[in-house]
Amino acid sequence: MDSPLPSPGAFRVLVADDEDDIRALVCLAVRKAGCDVIASVPDGALALAAARDELPDLAVLDVSMPGSTGLEVCAELRAHPGTAGIRILLLSAGASLDEVARGLSAGADAYLAKPFTVAGLVHQVKALTVGVPA
Amino acid sequence: MSLAVLDRPATEPIRRRLPDDRTWQAAASGPVPSTVGFAAGAALLLLGVVPVVDAPLAYAGLTAALAATAGAWFARRSASTVAALGLPIAQLAGVAALYAGTASASVLLLLAGPSWALATHRTRAGVPVAVAGAQAVLLVPAVVGDTFGGAAPLPAALALAPLVVAVGSLAVHENHRRLRAQAGDITRLQREQAALLEQVRSRADELDTASRILAARAQTMTSVIDAVTQQSIIGTDRDGTIRVWNPGAERMLGLLRPDVVRKRSILDFHQPEELAVAAETSGAPTPLAALVQVAGESGSDVRDWTYVAADGTERTVSVAVTPRSDDRGVHAGWNFVGTDMTETRATERMKDQFVSLISHELRTPLSSILGYLELVMDDEDQPLTDEQRQYLSTVERNAQRLLRLVGDLLFTAQVESGRFTLQPADVDLAAVVWAAEETARVSAANAGVDIVVDVPADGLVVSGDAVRLGQACDNLVSNAVKFTPGGGQVRLTVRRAWQAEDRTVVDAERPGAVPVALLSVADTGMGIPAGEQGELFTRFFRSSTARRNAVPGVGLGLTITKAITTAHGGSLDLVSAEGEGTTFTMTLPLPAVS
Repeated sequence: MDSPLPSPGAFRVLVADDEDDIRALVCLAVRKAGCDVIASVPDGALALAAARDELPDLAVLDVSMPGSTGLEVCAELRAHPGTAGIRILLLSAGASLDEVARGLSAGADAYLAKPFTVAGLVHQVKALTVGVPA
Repeated sequence: MSLAVLDRPATEPIRRRLPDDRTWQAAASGPVPSTVGFAAGAALLLLGVVPVVDAPLAYAGLTAALAATAGAWFARRSASTVAALGLPIAQLAGVAALYAGTASASVLLLLAGPSWALATHRTRAGVPVAVAGAQAVLLVPAVVGDTFGGAAPLPAALALAPLVVAVGSLAVHENHRRLRAQAGDITRLQREQAALLEQVRSRADELDTASRILAARAQTMTSVIDAVTQQSIIGTDRDGTIRVWNPGAERMLGLLRPDVVRKRSILDFHQPEELAVAAETSGAPTPLAALVQVAGESGSDVRDWTYVAADGTERTVSVAVTPRSDDRGVHAGWNFVGTDMTETRATERMKDQFVSLISHELRTPLSSILGYLELVMDDEDQPLTDEQRQYLSTVERNAQRLLRLVGDLLFTAQVESGRFTLQPADVDLAAVVWAAEETARVSAANAGVDIVVDVPADGLVVSGDAVRLGQACDNLVSNAVKFTPGGGQVRLTVRRAWQAEDRTVVDAERPGAVPVALLSVADTGMGIPAGEQGELFTRFFRSSTARRNAVPGVGLGLTITKAITTAHGGSLDLVSAEGEGTTFTMTLPLPAVS
């Protein structure tokens, strides 16, 4: 797990992906977007726990993770008032429109298909953190 | 299907013989009375009851009469008039001699036999012969008067006797003629009866043959149906009651024929929930209607249904439903021919899962490769040397190629499994073409191929999936560029046209033709050999020109393009000449012009 280095005032982001290399890449992109990675976890259960403990501004979730999938985490977060306000960006290797639709109906704010470009992810993170009270 | 075996025992031929009385008749009308008469006469003569005055004459007469009688027996079947008249005349001569030899009037009784024989002759000629003969016999005393002691026959007797003989003979003759006519009628009727019997018998034979043929046909049908053990063949009445149940059905559903036929309904072997859903979807009033509705409307219907076997196990079965008619062509029920697809469908699902898994597993490392490459190449703090940039560009290009291949494989698997869906919206084909041109621009420029775009300035909008149509168009354009040598040209065209019912495309609107959009990609490349054009849309097929010229690719692009076009209700056609070039044309339906 990457050790987050919080910088005061920056947006707080939770990253969850079971692939270490991808997770590191997502963390890099999040930092490039000027945000703090407050937690970086490899599965759904840890993501849910971290989200409840840390209450991040944004959660970047991989869809296919062991334990709970990104979709389940997403639905779970939306179901509880304490975590319902967290913005959610889903990442998935499946690029079919069907999956996009399922992701968005589970309550995600945005959906990005793998393989994503770092620039695209940075752009998406920036867009989602606009308007979040710092 | 009614398979009652039509069989019955062969009809017993009718062998009854009608009594034939012709023999008896021939005897009665011929020699019998004279035989009786002469036999009695001979007995009386020999016993001495009748006195003999001139023995040689009497015995000669008797011998002549008996000989003629014997002759009559021999000639009784003969049609000879000479025999029929001559022999009684000979008998009469014998009677005359007897009369002369005995001088006894009682001998005259012997006239009856020959007279009878003459009277019963076919023609009336016998009657005057009998009269003349009797007269001649009566005149014997006048000729040999001394024997009779000078007693001359009574003139009255001479006058009356012929009359009596004539009347008697005529009566006998007429009576006999009538009898003969009746006998003829009877014979004719017998012949007619025999002919009728013969007809009945041959009709019975025909029926017998027909029923044997029918039985043989039914037997053939039954044996064919029984020979099918890998597929279920189930025939039902209109209400779904099972009438035909073959060994394949026994094997698939675990019940023997006697336990099912006329006792169970086809619905007993279907999953009820599935039928309920089908009924709801199609608006069919009953579960059976849901099962046979399409077959009833269009003559046949093939689709997967879930059969429930006797032990409760469920089988996925591809069932072909067809209506069944009876021998008069009246709708009598339904046929269900089922192929067990349980294993096949499971394999297909496994293949799908495998392809999904593999493509996911390939995509993940490719995501890493591309992501980190991007970081390295775009790092402003540590700019790359030109050489490093060139190397990494090659890595990136190949990673992208792998990624496309994975995407194509996944997409092909989706198309095959029918999980490929479209997200329809209004799509401007002109924009699609411009986007494809932009994508191919760099590689075309590198290859020295000129791309010309000819699309309507105001665009042409179809209903479709923008992403998929773009993918299809990209495939066609990138193929065209790949297969066109330097200096060649690729022309992209979009235009409106009309398609007639026979699928020919015309430029002007005309009755029966529907509006279509044509998207053509024409190149001046190496072309496709005519013999290979049919296989072009097969997965992983690569033309000999592609292989010979080492054009890269795996042979999925056209399969995908064709699938996308078909899913849009359109068609993909090509015209190609080796060494001259190829034109692919997508024909897509357009909404009717209002």
